[in-house]
Amino acid sequence: MIKLEDVTKVYDGGTVACSNVSLNVAKGEFLFLVGASGSGKSTLIRMLLREEDVTRGKIWVAGKDITTMPSWKVPYLRRTIGTVFQDYKLLPNKSVAQNIAFALEVLGRPKAVIHRQVEQVIDLVGLTGKAERLPRQLSGGEQQRVSIARAFVNRPPILLCDEPTGNLDPATSVGIMRLLDRINRTGTTIVMATHDHAIVDAMRRRVVGLESGQVVRDQAGGRYEQEELVE
Amino acid sequence: MNRIGFLLDEAFVNMRRNPLVVSGAVLAVFVSLFLAFGALSVQELVRTNTQQWQDGTHVIVFLKDARDGITLDSQVALRSEIDGWELVQSTEYVDKLGAFEEFKKLFPNSPVVDNIDPDVLPASIRVRLSDSTRYREVVFNLIDQPAVLEVVAPGESIENIAQLSRVLNWLGFGLALIQGIAAVVLISNTIRMAIYARREEVSIMRLVGASNWFIRIPFLIEGMIEGVAGAALAVFGVWIASRVVGDVDAAISLFDFTISSGFFVKWSILFLAFGALAGVVGSALGLRRFLKV
Repeated sequence: MIKLEDVTKVYDGGTVACSNVSLNVAKGEFLFLVGASGSGKSTLIRMLLREEDVTRGKIWVAGKDITTMPSWKVPYLRRTIGTVFQDYKLLPNKSVAQNIAFALEVLGRPKAVIHRQVEQVIDLVGLTGKAERLPRQLSGGEQQRVSIARAFVNRPPILLCDEPTGNLDPATSVGIMRLLDRINRTGTTIVMATHDHAIVDAMRRRVVGLESGQVVRDQAGGRYEQEELVE
Repeated sequence: MNRIGFLLDEAFVNMRRNPLVVSGAVLAVFVSLFLAFGALSVQELVRTNTQQWQDGTHVIVFLKDARDGITLDSQVALRSEIDGWELVQSTEYVDKLGAFEEFKKLFPNSPVVDNIDPDVLPASIRVRLSDSTRYREVVFNLIDQPAVLEVVAPGESIENIAQLSRVLNWLGFGLALIQGIAAVVLISNTIRMAIYARREEVSIMRLVGASNWFIRIPFLIEGMIEGVAGAALAVFGVWIASRVVGDVDAAISLFDFTISSGFFVKWSILFLAFGALAGVVGSALGLRRFLKV
């Protein structure tokens, strides 16, 4: 589903954010990207969205080489990828339902379809009855659920999450992870960058460790910290 | 349909957020196009009047009458003399009664008409020349004739007005050009502020895969509406101005101040289209730097 081949990213100032990263993510996989701040996790996610161009190497998403993709096709790439961020990125003056619907409106979907899909996804993320609330009337965990609902309402095959539990307390985080796990079980590939030890340790999924822009570990069913020197 | 509605809504939301900046842009377009349209209308008036003059009577010779000791015979003699001049194509004699009829036509509702004695109005000879630009020579020959009361050549006032209008046109077009550039810059600035005010929405639109055109169109619509609104004000302004000036018409009968509706409609449409174009161009300039992927 996602394939990186010798991807290197050097920023204008000469900072190397990623060097020679190669990675294969299969359809339906759940992958944690772990590593300290500045290890290149966010850059990697931004490159998958083509918000950053690679300096060298190739990236394929859903079978398409996105490094040579013309920029007018990038919006179509982004429609195959749902994104969830630490800061939710909700529009404060729109209700829960409007925030989610916005993602479909800008794709020009018919009103009836939007209405039905928004309703379904609100139930899916456990916000039934809160469709008319404004973001500020919700807790952090609920806001993140809205953000996940917006990312998932278009049923993208891939979900990219950048520190989705970064602003949440442990108990709330567990709820969010249950939700992501459920979405993963529908066949959605999930790549999640995180600092959260407890979550990685509890989920026991594939863990890719980054350090100074390099892959230092790629372990199935791993924990946040490396337990033994096994690849 | 849903798409179009959504895009229009977005454009109106933008404009509601920044009414002051939007009115600034609209007014700039208005001033620019009003000046340009005004200059053009003056030019048109001069053109039609010059043409009328060229086609019509070039020199009017008002004649003295019996009270000054000038007989009908000497009037007729003068006419035949004028007829003999090389420059003269034809002449027409308008007697006192004819002058009264003309007077009634010029001031149809004036109470003066009822009180006026047709006899006080002078008879005249209308002279058409073969070369209208040489009217001065004919006037020069006429003023010394004993039967002549006064010689009037519309050419003189038309030349003065043409001269004035050339200056006004350059001034008008110059100002219109500067103001037009200002209008485009202001619109582009308005759009930039609108984008800035909506940067969150725009970033989310990009994130969820809205196409670039989908993001751009509301801003282009906004620019276009501002341009068209300014142009509509300009067209309205010129229309009002032409009505006001048109009322002066009767008083200064030598010069015709009415703009033909064909001219007005044609140019109104062109100016509206130009306003729309200026709005879209300004908006595109404002968007340019912002919407790389």
